[in-house]
Amino acid sequence: MPESKSSATKLQKIVAENDKTKERSSGNVVLGGVGGQGVITASNTISFACIDAGFDVKKSEVHGMSQRGGSVVSHLRFGREVHSVMVELGKAEWILGFEWEEGLRYLGYLKPGGVAFISVERRIPPSAQVDRRTGSVMYPYDVSPPEGVVPIDTYEIAGSAAEGRPAIAQTVLLGALSVEMGFDEEVWRRAIAATVPSKYVEDNLICFDRGRAWYEEIKRTGGKSKGTISAAYGNGRTAGTVATLSGHAVGSTTGLRISTDRGKPRVEITRSWCKGCNICVAVCPERILVLDRHEIAVLSDPDRCTGCGLCARMCPDLAIEVWLDSFAGNGSLKGSAAKLGEKQ
Amino acid sequence: MEGRKVDMNIELKSKEPASVPVFGDQKRLLRHAMMPHMLCPGCGHGIVLDAMLSVLSDRYENLDKVAIVAGIGCSSRIVGYIDACTLHTTHGRPLSFATGLKLARPDLDVIVVTGDGDGVSIGGNHLIHAARRNVDITCVLLNNEIYGMTGGQAAPTTVLGAYTTTTPQGNAQHSFDVSELVKAAGATFVARTSSYRPQVFGEMFAQALDHVGFSFVEVMTDCTEYFGRINRFGTGPDLLMSQARYDPEIDADLAARPTVEEISNPQPVRPVLPTGLLHRSNRLTLEETLNVAGGRSSRSNENRVVSGSARRDL
Repeated sequence: MPESKSSATKLQKIVAENDKTKERSSGNVVLGGVGGQGVITASNTISFACIDAGFDVKKSEVHGMSQRGGSVVSHLRFGREVHSVMVELGKAEWILGFEWEEGLRYLGYLKPGGVAFISVERRIPPSAQVDRRTGSVMYPYDVSPPEGVVPIDTYEIAGSAAEGRPAIAQTVLLGALSVEMGFDEEVWRRAIAATVPSKYVEDNLICFDRGRAWYEEIKRTGGKSKGTISAAYGNGRTAGTVATLSGHAVGSTTGLRISTDRGKPRVEITRSWCKGCNICVAVCPERILVLDRHEIAVLSDPDRCTGCGLCARMCPDLAIEVWLDSFAGNGSLKGSAAKLGEKQ
Repeated sequence: MEGRKVDMNIELKSKEPASVPVFGDQKRLLRHAMMPHMLCPGCGHGIVLDAMLSVLSDRYENLDKVAIVAGIGCSSRIVGYIDACTLHTTHGRPLSFATGLKLARPDLDVIVVTGDGDGVSIGGNHLIHAARRNVDITCVLLNNEIYGMTGGQAAPTTVLGAYTTTTPQGNAQHSFDVSELVKAAGATFVARTSSYRPQVFGEMFAQALDHVGFSFVEVMTDCTEYFGRINRFGTGPDLLMSQARYDPEIDADLAARPTVEEISNPQPVRPVLPTGLLHRSNRLTLEETLNVAGGRSSRSNENRVVSGSARRDL
């Protein structure tokens, strides 16, 4: 037995010398994201790369309402021989988060010393909108990422190659991962070409290169270069968002609930101008406008008004105006109205 | 209403207003004494009026240097509610009046609001010739496919097979594609939108105001009282929603209806019209070409023309 063991280690050494990519004997990756972001495609790409590098690979994913923005998670294990497809908690060397919250969700799988690449792309699920009137949502905007998390503004880094196609931008994550996983770059490029639809291969490769270059730069400078990431998950996509490898607290941990405080909506209906055409009743998304017995529009439930202003925009009689009243002590409303305008 | 206007200004001047309107303060440009307007319930023209006002409100402090010219018809009536220099002219001739106005007062921004009956039927010649001359004015044509004000007669824009008071068995004549007509006549900016998308109309209208030369924006609106009621397309919201799905629904509805037997048109009677910016080009405006014609003998005028065309080439 000891003989065979030593011969096995000998063999390993020879293999390792012959092929540097096989320095790593095994590894676990957990990929999390939202349907439509290319989580499955990315896990296929990693599988191809691992097979190309001479490993046994098993992968399993949970996806259901994927194209409707549902949660998608994929477990991928590779090694000389893999028996189980599932990654144990605390055993994943790498985590790829395609969406900020989905990435954070699977941090429990991360090994001490592992690296989690999490995109700051945000897809706020409808169920997280706890109060549509004030626009409050339950979302970890302000959570400071723990040790080992590398927030990546994929869309920003991908730049022109992924213009208008955020799914392609996620290849930046693969680029960063490839630096850590350490296969030959050509292996990755072959894997991308094999798994991505042929007309997008070129753009995906550009994103891959950009992600790789970006992460190499981060590693070289020790994550101390340019900017902070607070802007990245405070204001969405902003230029020059770079992660800190040490995962320092960026911003404060103020909990999950964020209120946009854009003001309390108030609908003003000029009764003498209204002709009761029913258009506002039909367009109101909250269905709270009705015609009274004089055939004049009234608000049946003012508390449910979200202040979207659709009724004011579509009223042919110019009878409706929607105002945002400031809450006491809450900064300037002008800015919030501008923000609201942007949204629409 | 005047009181409210003043209140609003005070609020906007203060640093932290107690409340702000979601869609701007375009109502300051209304002639409040004239309101409520005379349009029928659910008429799309009102939506266009509101969208126009919001664009003008963004661009102008007041409308003292803006002349809005209109002819006769429901569409032309909406200018009566705008607190600008407005000119209510004879039937079909707003573009002719506007041409003269623009040549006499080049400092004014001239906008023409007209309808399909006013601009395409009675003023059809004026429309194509204004486009041909490339006068630097903006024309908004509200196309509700019928003569609304005079009692719902068939217009040149009424689609084949549609019922009107003068076509009780269905319209037997083909209709104009107004945007194509104006484009062919030489307009340098042609766009088409619908009253269902006031935001898009606003963008197109703003671009048209920026454009130097004859800019034309056609807005598909709906006449609820005549076109909608007689063709049994429902009331205001129904017609508006049918614009959202854009015209196929109405096509099917019209196609299913018995029309003049001899026509027996198997094709959809109301073709799906392309919307958005349809055409944009660059030509000398009437003002510049007049400088050429009137100033052949004068060197200074030639220089002026050269500088004018140089500006154009940019």
